[in-house]
Amino acid sequence: MNNESKYNIGRIYFAIFGLIVLAFGAAELLLGVTGRSFEWGLLEMSGEFLLWQGIILFSAGAFYLSSFKNFSDIHQQAKVVMASAMIWIVAGMQIFGMILESIPGGEDGGWFNTAEGFLETYAGPYIPELFLLPFSLVVIYYIRLNRQK
Amino acid sequence: MKLSVDERWDIIDKISKETVKFGEYRHTLKDALAEITVKPLTGIPIAIAVLYGFWSFFGAFAGFFTDGFLVKLFDGHWLPWLQDVFPGGLGNWFYSIMVDAGHMESGVLVAADNCFESFGVLTSGLFVAIGVVLPAIIAFYLFLIILEDSGYLPRLAVLIDTVFHKIGLHGFAVVPMILSLGCNVPAVTATRNLETKKQRFMMMTLLAIFIPCGAQLGIMLDVIPEYVGFVMLYLFLGFFVFGFILNELIPGKSPEMILDVPPYHMPTGRNVGRKLWARLRGFFTVAIPFVLLGVVFVNVLYLVGVIDWLANVFEPVLVGWFGVPKETTAPLVAAFMRKDLAVGQLMGIQEQLGMVAFNTYQLVTSVVLVSLYFPCIATVAMIIKEGMQDRGKGVITFLLGSLAVLMAVVFIWGGLLHLIWIILGVA
Amino acid sequence: MRILLMGHPNVGKSVVFNRITGANVTESNYPGTTVDYEKGYVRIGHEEMEVIDVPGTFSLEPKDKAEEVAVKMLERNKDSVVVCIIDSTKIERGLYLALEIIERGSRVVVALNMWDIAEDKNINIDVEKLRQILGVPVVPTIAVSGEGIKELVSRISGATSVKIESVMKNVGGS
Repeated sequence: MNNESKYNIGRIYFAIFGLIVLAFGAAELLLGVTGRSFEWGLLEMSGEFLLWQGIILFSAGAFYLSSFKNFSDIHQQAKVVMASAMIWIVAGMQIFGMILESIPGGEDGGWFNTAEGFLETYAGPYIPELFLLPFSLVVIYYIRLNRQK
Repeated sequence: MKLSVDERWDIIDKISKETVKFGEYRHTLKDALAEITVKPLTGIPIAIAVLYGFWSFFGAFAGFFTDGFLVKLFDGHWLPWLQDVFPGGLGNWFYSIMVDAGHMESGVLVAADNCFESFGVLTSGLFVAIGVVLPAIIAFYLFLIILEDSGYLPRLAVLIDTVFHKIGLHGFAVVPMILSLGCNVPAVTATRNLETKKQRFMMMTLLAIFIPCGAQLGIMLDVIPEYVGFVMLYLFLGFFVFGFILNELIPGKSPEMILDVPPYHMPTGRNVGRKLWARLRGFFTVAIPFVLLGVVFVNVLYLVGVIDWLANVFEPVLVGWFGVPKETTAPLVAAFMRKDLAVGQLMGIQEQLGMVAFNTYQLVTSVVLVSLYFPCIATVAMIIKEGMQDRGKGVITFLLGSLAVLMAVVFIWGGLLHLIWIILGVA
Repeated sequence: MRILLMGHPNVGKSVVFNRITGANVTESNYPGTTVDYEKGYVRIGHEEMEVIDVPGTFSLEPKDKAEEVAVKMLERNKDSVVVCIIDSTKIERGLYLALEIIERGSRVVVALNMWDIAEDKNINIDVEKLRQILGVPVVPTIAVSGEGIKELVSRISGATSVKIESVMKNVGGS
């Protein structure tokens, strides 16, 4: 497959992904502004940082979409990279927080958490960024492709 | 022989023609990333994401150590053990300085049940320094150093600078301001990079007044997590409002800062580790002794009655103008030694007085006052040192000028916050 | 004998300093971090030399306090060897400072630092030619990884002062 078609696939992939990211961002933003929360199955949008998460996710979606034109251009690629990095920051910090939260025992508990409590921390529900994280990793392929060029 | 500027450039031109060949240069991903991080449209959302990361990391890391383990250690084991074995006991003067001053509850002197309330050197002092501030500053500096070494921090400074220009604020030195988030002392030194005396005066004064240091941020995050954002915003806003006013009032020029932006590169573990260690060493050798001395200082003043006397003298100002209880006098005195200690003491006082006599809004005002009212002693020493180098004999005017600005700020900006609470109907 | 490290802000003076003295000065990817000077020592041959990390300066006509420190330092140490550290990607700006130092009669060694970034950017510098024109040692270095630092140190004792006139003659030659 030549580079041109690789970039064309990327363009379409990130356009669709960008729309999804944008939609989640908008939802988080709206909930954040109105101070409400949302839960559905394993998906959860709530918490004190919701508004900020919404702003970040919405911007990331906008970055993805704005890279549609001249997708292979290095400046457009940079936007895709940054949009993905923004999702990584939010999702990564969520995971980091979960890990640290799972280890110590509760306020009146012992020094360390029980095995049960430890696993419970990871049971979810999760914020949308965690679901979006794996799909954003595709950008690594394009970073490599850009380097070869 | 000395050449003129033009002659020099002429030679350089010839040299570079003979020795340097500029090949075709294509922008790399690094360059493109560098570009979008400083353009406001893309740069601002990126900055929000980075700061969000900073905040979450800070909160998670500090929470893990402080709430997860150290609070349990200090409140559940260290404090009861000391109360048990330390000679003296409630009411003894040495015991109350070192361990627990106790407090009155319906006419009876009772012991404290947590390290915020006990106000002892070995309890509150150690708890604030090691239990709360140490984890916070490790997290804080770690992230800050990585941002600095990667090259993002100067870009953030340029971005902020650009935005300020757009809204008509010129001549602010954003670099020392951002550096100052770590600690005011090196930030004061960094003002040497500014060109005019006016700028150096402005920045030194404003930094010392408005920008909270890493240690203070750490304890604020533990004590009033929901309001830290608001406090920061209020302080930053003050920085610019008063910066704008000073810029208009003080004669002289404030030329633009030209900042060279370094390329992005991967921070090396060796350098990050070394810098973190340097900062922590500073914390152990300077900050911790100051925290402990601060506790002794305040406790002694308290025992000999100076604090109560000061509290009564300043009661009209504190209660009437700022709307905070007169008991905040002791933390305000402590703030002269260490701001983090002062915030910790405020927390203890709130727990003693109860939420009714000392509500959260009053606590927020007190925290803002602690930040504003006087720079810590280390910063003052640095300002005097820099002022002497800068002004020679004019240092007195320089310091009096700073002090005048300080007084004005404390009264206006502190009082304004009280007014805001009144308007919101919560004070 | 003294060695002064001079150059623009953020060209890696502190990194070079740490490399040659084994000291622990904080290195920042941030212009203007060194506002005061740092001292260290290096042994060259049998001689122990003092190395000073001078604050970054754009020229010898000081614009701010940190630059004043730099200029005073140079004036006070007329007989020392100046290692002028230049950012290879901005060689013309760096040469300006180098020429100013040469004019003052100091012995100079030029380090072309960030050589790797210049290569990335496709900038080709003819080191041999530059050495001929300036008449002083010129060494490409990559201080962060330590490349070229050994050669730089070995050139220090052989540094001589040159007349600016000879530079002018050499450059006019071709």
